[in-house]
Amino acid sequence: MAARSVNIDTTWRAIALTPTAVIFVLMSILPVLNLMAMSVNEITWVGGKSVWTYVGFAHYKRLADDTLLRAGISNTFVFAVIGVTAQVVIGFLLAWAVSRVRTGRLAYRTIFILPILVPGILIGAVWKLMLNYDFGLANGFLEVFGIHPVDWLGTRAFALPSVIVVDIWHWTPFCFLLLLAGFESLPQDVHEAARVDGASNWAELRYVLIPMMMPVIVVTFLFRFVTSLKVFDEIYLLTGGGPGSATEVISYTVYRTFFTQDRMGYGSAMSVAVLFGISLLIVASLAAARRQGGRA
Amino acid sequence: MSQGPNRRDVIAAAGAFGAVAAMPWAPGAKAQTARAAPFTIVINNSPWFDGFRGVVEAYEKETGNKVNLDVNPFGGSLEKQRASVRARDGQFDLLIMNGLYYQEMYHGGFLTPINDIDPTFRLDPQMIRYDNTVYWDEATKTHSPSGKLMSVPVNGNIPLLLYRADLYAEHKLKVPETWDELLANAKKLHNPPRMYGIVQRGARGSPNDISYDWWPYLYSHGGKLFRDEPKGDYTITINSPEGKAALDFYIRMAKEAGHPQTGGLAQAQIIQNLATGRAAHALLVIAAWSQMDDPSKSAVVGKLNAARVPGSAKGKPAPVLGHWLGGIPKNVPKPRQEAALTFLKWFQTHGAQMKYLAAGAPPVRQDVLSDQNLWKEQKNRWMPAMAQSSEYVQLMWSVPEGSQIGDVLELRLNQAVIGELTTERALNMIADECHAIMQRAGYKTGKIAAL
Repeated sequence: MAARSVNIDTTWRAIALTPTAVIFVLMSILPVLNLMAMSVNEITWVGGKSVWTYVGFAHYKRLADDTLLRAGISNTFVFAVIGVTAQVVIGFLLAWAVSRVRTGRLAYRTIFILPILVPGILIGAVWKLMLNYDFGLANGFLEVFGIHPVDWLGTRAFALPSVIVVDIWHWTPFCFLLLLAGFESLPQDVHEAARVDGASNWAELRYVLIPMMMPVIVVTFLFRFVTSLKVFDEIYLLTGGGPGSATEVISYTVYRTFFTQDRMGYGSAMSVAVLFGISLLIVASLAAARRQGGRA
Repeated sequence: MSQGPNRRDVIAAAGAFGAVAAMPWAPGAKAQTARAAPFTIVINNSPWFDGFRGVVEAYEKETGNKVNLDVNPFGGSLEKQRASVRARDGQFDLLIMNGLYYQEMYHGGFLTPINDIDPTFRLDPQMIRYDNTVYWDEATKTHSPSGKLMSVPVNGNIPLLLYRADLYAEHKLKVPETWDELLANAKKLHNPPRMYGIVQRGARGSPNDISYDWWPYLYSHGGKLFRDEPKGDYTITINSPEGKAALDFYIRMAKEAGHPQTGGLAQAQIIQNLATGRAAHALLVIAAWSQMDDPSKSAVVGKLNAARVPGSAKGKPAPVLGHWLGGIPKNVPKPRQEAALTFLKWFQTHGAQMKYLAAGAPPVRQDVLSDQNLWKEQKNRWMPAMAQSSEYVQLMWSVPEGSQIGDVLELRLNQAVIGELTTERALNMIADECHAIMQRAGYKTGKIAAL
């Protein structure tokens, strides 16, 4: 009787979930299929109607010669690796510090997560003003020390680092929250045992906390890394990909191809290639995270 | 007037109005401007928008007709217009199209020729034709008065040379007519960081900054993008010696009298530098003028004046069109098309254009622009320069691939300004990339010898 009830429950769950699963799959797969169809066609407009001309893999072949896309890929990886590493390191240190505070922990937590609550458009406006060459706070600060103003967003040497700094400011709170949750879930007796054994703060961090936190650190890093590959708003608002191609990133290249240049066929090929690349990266990341989890 | 489209309301109101209008006792039937269905205008939030909003409010007040404004950033407006005209049923009834992208609406067949809506409509003879861009000859794919009237001018944005008249008086300078004279004047007033001799839009824009700023230099030096566009010869000639001279001069101007970070300056920073009194000259679209005399936005009220953009010693001045045209899409119901045209008919009248000017936007009627009684007013001191520019205005290109070409120009010209590419290399790359664009699109194209 009990076994039959379990079977009915399982069947009912499967039936109940099927419509949602079908909708989810269709909504994920259909746009990708449409993108793939567009990517092998040249799409033009005549008499108010779209005209699709089959071009095979011509768009894909052209991707390899696209210097702007190459710059976008390279900048995106630099942006993601440096930005996310800094976010995880700073987030870890902040989380460690807050986890050791006895009073006012809620206040610290609230203060540290504020940047993540600010809408992207405001972040763009605020930082663009702060980094303005003629009137910005950053150059005003340098002027106090007699240092020449810097064009933070308009020179090749500073533009990408400046955007990375904004991204670090914006997203470190996210890493902080995940890592703080990790710290709070650690068993208290390990910490006490380390203290009884006379471990210094540094030794406890190096030999106890970091190894125990490693699965959380890896997941935080990978999650942020994958999302940071999709960066768009900060580039769109702060630099528009310039100067030259100094801050060009993949999403921005796809956006300009698709929407500014209105090259739907080529833009689709670019999108499919990027989707494929990021999917591979996600699979590799998950495998790495699983291995790390297994070791821990 | 409300901002943001409310399609359901518009359709419901259009239906209701249509039903009432069909009745013989319909109100307003004998009014000078006919009662019309509510309709929606999609427009960009450029510096001249406040003037347009003012004239729309005046229209609503005068006629009782209702207009919805859907206001967007420059790029956002284009994206919305594309989405609307490509749908089965369009959302917007009047598209405010920029001189850099209206071509794709003509070529794509998205607009209704104005006389298909009302065969009696005539563009007022005083309305400026802006290099005949209001007309479209489908057979020859050119702008010719023998073609169909596709749009009505809405804004005559062209660049003027804005200069500090107070400093000119102080240093006894003459208003420049050539680029060399401008450079000489700019160098005299250059005292960075307090005062830049000139500020230039050298940034890689989205969609256009540096290409729009540089184009008057190119044309007046005798350079061209295409060898003979009106005759269908799309051979790329931008990397000619004339093109190189124009780009070299632009960069020389930046180095000798310009802002140290010209490669990072977009239109907003140009306005900022002028309005805060840190720039002696700039080429700027006249739409930004109203901010310069607004005490709440400007530290140089009454100190700026405007002149026609200079030319080279060899060539005529060549202000380029960044104008705006109003076109009516095919895929919207007839009552809404008629409502949009009713507005345009009113908009082209002398009275409406005077209201447009009063609201802070440059008018698009030559008789208003040339009215010397208006020139006498201090706030209108830019008008002579604008009126004198009309005969020289030129279009950057008329092909729908302009958005791709613009992207190439923005990147490579900016790279030349920031020193990443030599001028020769930048122009050769532009030529190669534009040639590829035109070749892919099937034009008769070619290249000249590389620099």
